[in-house]
Amino acid sequence: MFDRLDISFSRSFAAVIPFGFAILGVILSNAPVSLLRGAVPPPMFSLMPIYFWCLVRPDLMPAWIAFFIGMMEDFFSGGPPGIWTLSYVVTYALVDRERDAFAGLSGLGAILGFAAAMLVATVCGWLVAAFVYGRLPPLSVLSMQFAMSVLFYVPVAMILGRVHRKFVGPLRSDF
Amino acid sequence: MANGTWKIARGKGSAQLSMAILAVLAVGLVVLGKAQSQLFDRARAYYSDAIAPSLKSVGKPFDGVANWFGGVGHFFDVYQENLRLKAEVAELKKYQAEKQVLNARIQRYQLLLNAVPDPAQESITARVIGRDNRPFLDTLILDAGKSRGVKPGEAVVDLRGMLGRVFLTGDHTSWVILLTDLNSRVPVVVEPGNMQAMLTGDNSGQPSLQPMQQGAQIKEGSQVVTSGDGGLLPNGVPVGTVVWDGSDWRVALLADASSADDVRVVDLKQPPEQPPAVTPNELPAVAAGLAPLATKPQTPAQAPPPSANSMTPPGTYVTPPSPYAIHPPAAQQAAPKPAVPGQPAPNADNSNDDQVDQ
Repeated sequence: MFDRLDISFSRSFAAVIPFGFAILGVILSNAPVSLLRGAVPPPMFSLMPIYFWCLVRPDLMPAWIAFFIGMMEDFFSGGPPGIWTLSYVVTYALVDRERDAFAGLSGLGAILGFAAAMLVATVCGWLVAAFVYGRLPPLSVLSMQFAMSVLFYVPVAMILGRVHRKFVGPLRSDF
Repeated sequence: MANGTWKIARGKGSAQLSMAILAVLAVGLVVLGKAQSQLFDRARAYYSDAIAPSLKSVGKPFDGVANWFGGVGHFFDVYQENLRLKAEVAELKKYQAEKQVLNARIQRYQLLLNAVPDPAQESITARVIGRDNRPFLDTLILDAGKSRGVKPGEAVVDLRGMLGRVFLTGDHTSWVILLTDLNSRVPVVVEPGNMQAMLTGDNSGQPSLQPMQQGAQIKEGSQVVTSGDGGLLPNGVPVGTVVWDGSDWRVALLADASSADDVRVVDLKQPPEQPPAVTPNELPAVAAGLAPLATKPQTPAQAPPPSANSMTPPGTYVTPPSPYAIHPPAAQQAAPKPAVPGQPAPNADNSNDDQVDQ
């Protein structure tokens, strides 16, 4: 009986981890403090867990979580509502559709895979913002955010991989 | 942890359906957000109020590290920087003296013209506790909100010039939309020439300048100040200098949001002050030793419209005969003699005692 309880608790805990990391990513991305005093935009930490677990365990990262995290990103970032919500849903749909191609990537390819997902999110956000504002927003800050996100994905993916192995299960590459 | 029994694969059809529903919801949120751009604002204000205390404590080490990083680059040019600053201080002292003289002259002219003065400006000093530079929002968070009288729309300035304006207020915090933000539009004047223009932020470091008049001739290096149109922002607040980036006129801002720590929130939402009653003591004629006509104090309702005399330049100011005039001998003769030396006559107007003494 205790074994079953233990398994049940472990499963629940493991199921919460991807969502928790995505929320943590939203908080980290949108904390209004900066070591560089806002000279560069922060990375989009919240997209990293979505991308990561959409590939390795899509059952733990369903589309509604991407939707919810996008909405949280909209709320905390202070921008017009819906920009990142729609971007995350579109990015999720693309990654989910091409999961086998993305999940098979490793090393530099894995980083390029995230860069492709980030590019989709960035372009989608830019287009939605153009619709909302009625003019084309400048690409400079978006480009910097894209670069920062890709740069920071490397250490974050290592952390996520360790957490996944320890609390959730083996990665696809471990088989 | 054993999880080999978990079902990882999902039904393709149901997944696509849920994705489509979520996409439609997201599009709906975009449309709703376009119609009601302040959808999240109240919640954001609560959020910033809630995190303000922790932001203050968390922000200090971040600021310290940021200052250290910022200072590293100056280690090698500190001597040249010191010389440059000394020269700049000397230059500014000269301008300060000129400014004081000009301010005094303007006040005197306003007095002579009985001009309505600029609206009173009250300001609240606030500390920057957060700053965000995002693709679609460039903002500061201040530690002053409704409880200290901060209201949306008010201008935020630092020692160098205008930073932006308040767009959202919580009880104890407020969000400032910077001049560089995509949503920022501020009416400005390009000097010299008093050319009206609109300063439009586009998330680049230098907002673009769009003249109101077609074919307006803008010169690089011209100064840009706020125009005060609309009555929300004060006029004459320094904004920056006009620069040409090869395709567009832009403004190099004087204020630097990344280094602003303490700022002022300027409240202009007050009715313009009534022009102060001109007291004879303040007239140049008195200053020159010529006492003006002594008149009985009048209530504003009884006050006559400004006479031609009040518009007369100081050099030609005509002082009517006064019982207390010092110089005109005729007036001295007409004045009632005091019963006691050094005391005014019983029927004299006591309201003018101060003028005589002065």
